[in-house]
Amino acid sequence: MTQKPSGIFNWLNSRLPIVNTYERHLSKHPVPKKVNFWYMFGALASVVLIVQIVSGIWLMFGYENTEEGAFASIEYIMRDIEYGWIIRYMHTTGASMFFAVVYLHMFRGLMYGSYHKPRELVWIFGMTIYFVMMAEGFLGYVLPYGQMSYWGAQVIISLFGAIPYIGESLELWVRGDYYISGATISRFFALHVVALPLILIALVFMHLVALHEVGAGNPEGVDIEKHLDEDGVPLDSVPFFPYKVLNALVAIGIFGVVFSIIMFFFPEGGGYMLELANFEEANPLSTPEHIAPVWYYSPYYAMLRAVPDKLGGLVVMGAAIAILFVVPWLDRSKAASIRYKGNLSKIAMTLFILSWLMLAWLGTVPVTELRKTLSIIGTVIYFAFFLLMPIYTSIEKSKPVPERL
Amino acid sequence: MKKFILITFFLFSSAAIFAADGAPCGDYGECESFKPQLNKTESLQLGAVTFINHCYGCHSLEYSRWGRIAKDLDIPEEIFIDNLVFGQDVKLGDRMTGSMKSADAESWFGIAPPDLTLVTRLHGSDWVYTYLKTFYEDSSKPYGVNNMVYPGAAMPNVLASMQGQQILSCKDLPMIASNGGIRRDEQGNDITEEKCGYLKTVSGSGSMSEKEFDEVIYNLVNFMTYVGEPSRADRERIGWYVILFFIIFTAFSYLLFREYQKDYH
Repeated sequence: MTQKPSGIFNWLNSRLPIVNTYERHLSKHPVPKKVNFWYMFGALASVVLIVQIVSGIWLMFGYENTEEGAFASIEYIMRDIEYGWIIRYMHTTGASMFFAVVYLHMFRGLMYGSYHKPRELVWIFGMTIYFVMMAEGFLGYVLPYGQMSYWGAQVIISLFGAIPYIGESLELWVRGDYYISGATISRFFALHVVALPLILIALVFMHLVALHEVGAGNPEGVDIEKHLDEDGVPLDSVPFFPYKVLNALVAIGIFGVVFSIIMFFFPEGGGYMLELANFEEANPLSTPEHIAPVWYYSPYYAMLRAVPDKLGGLVVMGAAIAILFVVPWLDRSKAASIRYKGNLSKIAMTLFILSWLMLAWLGTVPVTELRKTLSIIGTVIYFAFFLLMPIYTSIEKSKPVPERL
Repeated sequence: MKKFILITFFLFSSAAIFAADGAPCGDYGECESFKPQLNKTESLQLGAVTFINHCYGCHSLEYSRWGRIAKDLDIPEEIFIDNLVFGQDVKLGDRMTGSMKSADAESWFGIAPPDLTLVTRLHGSDWVYTYLKTFYEDSSKPYGVNNMVYPGAAMPNVLASMQGQQILSCKDLPMIASNGGIRRDEQGNDITEEKCGYLKTVSGSGSMSEKEFDEVIYNLVNFMTYVGEPSRADRERIGWYVILFFIIFTAFSYLLFREYQKDYH
């Protein structure tokens, strides 16, 4: 941008902050020079968001949001529309990959304390994105109107009914009918393709604006703002463009390989991404033997089933998500990164990730007595990780955080 | 720390947690493995012939179109219409909605035969392959046959004339001792016990040998796998190019990244 701007560009730039925005958010935006691969998942999440929006728009060309037509229209897209199958698998693989990268992104946040002051708001926007994504994913899953769409929706919508006093009317209001029907499909369609994506895009925008205000973190938990050069730029930083963009490009390439291996060779993901029961049209008269959510909801579904009471299960499941929002205030450690935290934090983190993985698996398999006990243990560990965080992070001794990156 | 992770891992992976899920192929246990060959046009053609002659009378393929099958399976349109399309007013662009009205079917069979377009995706090709091979004679059932994979299936064994009579039989098998070895008597001979529930075809009762029949079923299920997802062969072909593209993309962006990294390292 140092060369003399042309007439048209000048005209535009004096009316629209092009150069300013470019410099502030790209060419001059400082980012820590040393980060590891864990810092790539945010970029990947935005790539998947774009994939989902574009493939979603193309799917809408052929999808029919009616009770009679929904299931057949998916097969129409898969068979009769030229390369419709690519669009559809892109969207279904994209949904799973979206959750995969967002989970890894969130785990990075927990591991390196990305929520530490002053990044609390970045974390809260991020958690809100995750929450909206869960709703978005659920709504989208109902649209093909297969057996699992129907019965999964039945289970989730009936949860509203567990709320005291307003439950039953709320359930009816959400469903738009006395049972899941065309009315449910068309409202879920509107929410899935218009309402929630708008909210999602707005939230992603806020997440990024807040992030650019406070600057990105790093795996050491070093505050790079402490050592600035004469222009006020952190010494341990590099400009976002081109350095970090190139970094992200490598990540996108590797991610593209993984994405296409799944999409072209294992689109069903062994039944965890496209559930096999969903290859049968919804049938209100026949309940599938075993109703399981797709993998990305399964830890929370396992928690729901761990509690015998429906309302209790709903509260536990809701609390499991809600508690993530307040993590910035639960962590009392002086060090942000797990690298400089004490042993208690390391043990807690390990137990947490193991219990989460165990719950994820338990949510996909039929219940037995033993598995129920394991779900309860997993749920207790999950909550203990957060609820005891103020205690173990304040009593443990953290190592001194270095000055420079 | 590592020890701790290992112990927890072993604790969680003990066999008891994994026991409880039923066998995928019902009384038959594990399904027989089926590997589709979607590029083998001849097999798909033979499978299509078997399907249309023996299955299509009752089962539709409602999401599939006649013309698509003719095109994908390299069957010239005229030959296809003359030999495989029954019905005067059927056009190639029509869906294969079946030749039996579902109301009629319900009154004849008690239940409408399901559409089979997606059956291999719903149950898996392994399951369908095993199912078709495990009908056996059972006089207590309305059609005189039962199925090992799907006990109580309301379907006659339409391929019985090829396969012949299949019955459940018993075998003398070595007894397994509690330590996992074969039990032997004092002379060192294996002790056997009679176990039942094995399928056996009465030789000479069908028009085909076991091998020929297996091949018919193989081609049929191969065709049904194709119908379940007609673009699968394309998908697996195109997939390699896309992966190759991303590998090259990664290589070049890595080289560029490495070059620029020199600025700040």
